[in-house]
Amino acid sequence: MNRYALNALAVTLVCLAASAVSAEDKPCFESRKGASEVTPHKLPNGVPSVKCSPTTGAVLWWGDPYDGTMPMGEMSPPGDYSKGQAVVKPREDKLGLLPVCGVACHNGSFPPPPKDKYPRPLAMHQDIVPDALKLQHGRGAIWCLDCHHPTQRNKLIDNFGDSIGFNEPQKLCGKCHGPILRDWRDGIHGKRTGEWASDGKKRWYVCTECHNPHDVQQGARNSGFAQIEPEPAPALPKGLKNADHERHKDHGTPHAGTPLLERLTSWLQHLRKRGATGTGRDASTLQ
Amino acid sequence: MQQGKVPPCDSDKEHHSQGRRGMAETAATPSCSSRRGFLKEMGGLSIASLMGTAALLTNSDDAQAKTEWAEWFQGNYRLMTDEEKAQAKARLERRYSQEYGKPVMVDTTPAKEGVLFGYALNIQKCIGCRRCVKACVEENNQSRGNAQQIEWIRVVKMEKGKFTPEKMTQGYPDPIGIQVGGNAYSAAGVTLEGEHYYQPEKVPEQDAFYMPIACMQCEKPPCVKVCPVRTTYRDADGIVVIDYNWCIGCRQCIDACPYWARRFNWSTPNVPKAEMNPKTHYLGNRPRMKGVVEKCTFCIQRTRHGRYPACVEVCPVGARKFGNLLDPNSEVSRILERKSVFRLRADQNTYPKFFYFMD
Repeated sequence: MNRYALNALAVTLVCLAASAVSAEDKPCFESRKGASEVTPHKLPNGVPSVKCSPTTGAVLWWGDPYDGTMPMGEMSPPGDYSKGQAVVKPREDKLGLLPVCGVACHNGSFPPPPKDKYPRPLAMHQDIVPDALKLQHGRGAIWCLDCHHPTQRNKLIDNFGDSIGFNEPQKLCGKCHGPILRDWRDGIHGKRTGEWASDGKKRWYVCTECHNPHDVQQGARNSGFAQIEPEPAPALPKGLKNADHERHKDHGTPHAGTPLLERLTSWLQHLRKRGATGTGRDASTLQ
Repeated sequence: MQQGKVPPCDSDKEHHSQGRRGMAETAATPSCSSRRGFLKEMGGLSIASLMGTAALLTNSDDAQAKTEWAEWFQGNYRLMTDEEKAQAKARLERRYSQEYGKPVMVDTTPAKEGVLFGYALNIQKCIGCRRCVKACVEENNQSRGNAQQIEWIRVVKMEKGKFTPEKMTQGYPDPIGIQVGGNAYSAAGVTLEGEHYYQPEKVPEQDAFYMPIACMQCEKPPCVKVCPVRTTYRDADGIVVIDYNWCIGCRQCIDACPYWARRFNWSTPNVPKAEMNPKTHYLGNRPRMKGVVEKCTFCIQRTRHGRYPACVEVCPVGARKFGNLLDPNSEVSRILERKSVFRLRADQNTYPKFFYFMD
């Protein structure tokens, strides 16, 4: 008995330790799951760099909102953002496959540039570009080489054929989504962390940190964001067993789908039935 | 109360039972060191015994007892001199540091000149992930756990309305006709029936939108009007704050608030030591006691030092915007200038500084 108990205790302890370690090292996501992962670590002042949600693995709290960022640099056309100190988190170093393209995969020789930009079925790379075959962006009007540089595979390309780094996708996205780029520049669109003052230091989240450019429509919802797991619901008030009182069938108003007039007539019929029994109760319940 | 989580209450009780053994028959034993408990006690005490207690407490070496004694007699925060504020700050820092086992900072930074805080939320963007709710708890030391869970933000899932042209032209039934958009045969538009406890596997759901609601920091706050002890007030930068020490727990402000933004500590808040945020403000996220009301303060401990509120920083879709309404270049001012904006329950004439907007 004792030995079993001890074993169980040891196992529990090991499990606890393991879970503590994994909680410390497990990467959490900042905005977009799968594209904005950070690993929690201790900052020089002893504060954790991020605190993550135990249920969903989302970052809930930043010890230093500028951790791991670099200056955003110039952007054209210049806007009010330049007054403040704008920093972004570089993404290029995370895109591991890009630098090896043209070296490792193609034995040092660059693949021949495509003849034209017209969409056609992808013959290769279906494994490393999982979104490529189900591109949900532009409703069929655009394809890979409208955004990706045909020869410099670690760059994006703008309307004039100039290459754009992966750290500043706004220069590319803005060529179609101009009004949104303007809003983003003025701080109305998009996420910022740091200081609220208009001339304060802010970390700017660039387009692809929140939106998946290959699946921006997100199906029929068309919200621009991938679906994520929500944080747990608030605790129910004491004594309440479930939240059925507020959950409506088939996601709508109570009696959704039943026209009001129909509901009224059925209610009137119910009243009439009650009147016919002579008492306020159903006759069957009295027996 | 278990595991000595609330030293002020326990130590207080001990101290009282030592110091006032003589009058234990007349006075009800205080359940906790709340102002209410103290006042209740006062009724049963004679002045002489009170003086005796005072002498005992002030002469004792127990720093905690001294702190509590001074706390009971400190003035309303608005009437305190700078010196008194500094004393209160030092007292609280000592007590909290002892209680939570780490250096706790209690900030008393006043409002900055030329700043009026405003908030804007893009109702089209919100995906209902409730990260703001949890980030707020992380930042503001609310009570957590099953015994008492306090969240300042609630996210309400709403049905997306449908305005179809064929329904718009239909008439109304004669005897009854309450219109909620569209026409009365079938509800169109928003029916204002929200779900607080929605828990789907993934958000956002099809045909739903989400409406986060917290304190609106009204310019004419009804909660301030009803407070009988004037412990809640609108500070100069527009934040409606609470001096928890003067709150008597009457909860009239909770009744008065049309946004259901205020929460009451029915029991001593449970804030684990490890999770407690040591950067606090006197009027904001410092640990509360049992029997006081609390609510969103636009993260006063952050915003008065220039940082965005926690919910703004955490929002994964950038739906939350915060800034100075008096600065024409601020994010909030630009939104008010360019976007379609509405305020929740504008008919209440509360003039919220929390704006919902659409692209």
